[in-house]
Amino acid sequence: MLVVDNLYAGYGKSEVLVGTSLTVKQGTVVGLIGPNGAGKTTTMRAISGELKPTKGTVMLDSKPVQGLDASRIARLGLAHSPEGRRVFGPLSVEDNLLLGAYHRLPRFFGFRSRAAAELERVYDLFPRLMERRRQSAGTLSGGEQQMLAIGRALMAQPKIMLLDEPSMGLAPVVVDEVFSIISRLKESGITLLLVEQSASRAFEVADYAYVMERGRVVMEGKPAVLQQDARMVAAYLG
Amino acid sequence: MNGSVIAQLVVSGSLMGLVYALIAYGFQLTYATSKSINFGQGELVMVSAFICLTMTNLGISYWFMVPLGLMCGALLGLFVERAGVRLALEQKNEGWILLTIIIGLFFFSAAENIWGRDDRPFPTPISSEALQVAGIRITPLELSVALGVFAIMGIIELFKRKTLLGKAFEAVAADRDAAELMGISATKTIMLSYSLSGVVAAVAGLLVSPITTVGPTMASALVLKAFSVAVVAGLDSGFGVVLIGLFLGSLESLTSYYVGSGWREAPGLILLILALAVRPTGVFGKIPIKKV
Repeated sequence: MLVVDNLYAGYGKSEVLVGTSLTVKQGTVVGLIGPNGAGKTTTMRAISGELKPTKGTVMLDSKPVQGLDASRIARLGLAHSPEGRRVFGPLSVEDNLLLGAYHRLPRFFGFRSRAAAELERVYDLFPRLMERRRQSAGTLSGGEQQMLAIGRALMAQPKIMLLDEPSMGLAPVVVDEVFSIISRLKESGITLLLVEQSASRAFEVADYAYVMERGRVVMEGKPAVLQQDARMVAAYLG
Repeated sequence: MNGSVIAQLVVSGSLMGLVYALIAYGFQLTYATSKSINFGQGELVMVSAFICLTMTNLGISYWFMVPLGLMCGALLGLFVERAGVRLALEQKNEGWILLTIIIGLFFFSAAENIWGRDDRPFPTPISSEALQVAGIRITPLELSVALGVFAIMGIIELFKRKTLLGKAFEAVAADRDAAELMGISATKTIMLSYSLSGVVAAVAGLLVSPITTVGPTMASALVLKAFSVAVVAGLDSGFGVVLIGLFLGSLESLTSYYVGSGWREAPGLILLILALAVRPTGVFGKIPIKKV
């Protein structure tokens, strides 16, 4: 589904990614973990086209997409729910969700009815968003905004979803709630690349995980295996 | 002071104020999506007015000429975006300021060379026979200005709120990069905002020309006032520009009647200075809602 090979990217002269490689198979949840500044978010941004990679390849459905505009890559079926949630604050919750499905809806009229089934699915998953659908997104709590960001990405009916640090800045109870949603999505067969600072959280839902340090993958494996690894325990799980 | 004189002054001033508001609205449209404005907006008003006049002189009927004129406005707006704004925005620098001024100057000299420096009357089928309404004299032509301003602003606001493309427009305004991740092309949205802004300029040109006549300098005073209105109202409130436009227009006509016509330009400039010194976000400017 998604194959990233030897990816280099950075901001200006400073290179953040120095040869990152990873693979996400269809229907699996893959965790990307590592300390602050390891390049997890940069990896996400280089995959989704928000940042242009300087070297390496990104294959989506065996087609190279590196260097394309983010909006093109999104239309090819990749939904990136970015770090910090980035909901459209002045717009209503429902408008945020509708915009998530932008690329497959008519531009002028009739978009609401065309999106109705998907909208219902998302509201079913996040009843709180249903209650607040007319409220402007900027007035939601952090947890609700995170749910909106996930819901917005789901609206695209993506082939693969990139989810960056869904636990950031949230209270532990809310994080539990978010991860139980991710488990439900996993049961429904979603293909997901999940960036998470907290390794133990990521291991709860991931089928496979990559550990990044200083811009490259230093370890990979099934969570059950990684959890036994002495270096892993010392650095992230201790 | 006489009540009916004041009422008369307020009404005729307000009509001019609505034109300021419309041009200011053109600034807001492009500022929303791209955080840039066309400093040559006045020249777009003037060039579209000249194009409309030429079409009329070629024998094209008024109601057929109007849509063509709006289309020309849209094309001019697209030209400004492509030639003056796009590269600067891609490189995230402020080059668009100078470039849009230069494009404006270019339009100005082109107009002088093509159409000459003289002001010319603009024929219109709308009557300028004054009607008496509650003791106030108002011409159908003046009414058409008010109607035209509200119509075009209303249509654009409906578009922004009711269509998905309009919502995408607002999304790009709120967070350009996040909008790109939804598959919304920011570049196309910015092109759309510049073409809409061009249409708005053409509408302004069509509406004022019969009153002010058409000439290369016809819009230079207008655009300065529009700029004051945009800054005083804030660059994100369509309702705000209408209100401030009406206020400034009436204030100007009252000033020129009671203080002297030489002072006509003063209120706009004083408001501009006051706004920049006291409330740079504008009276109706919102502080963006952010919550983590």
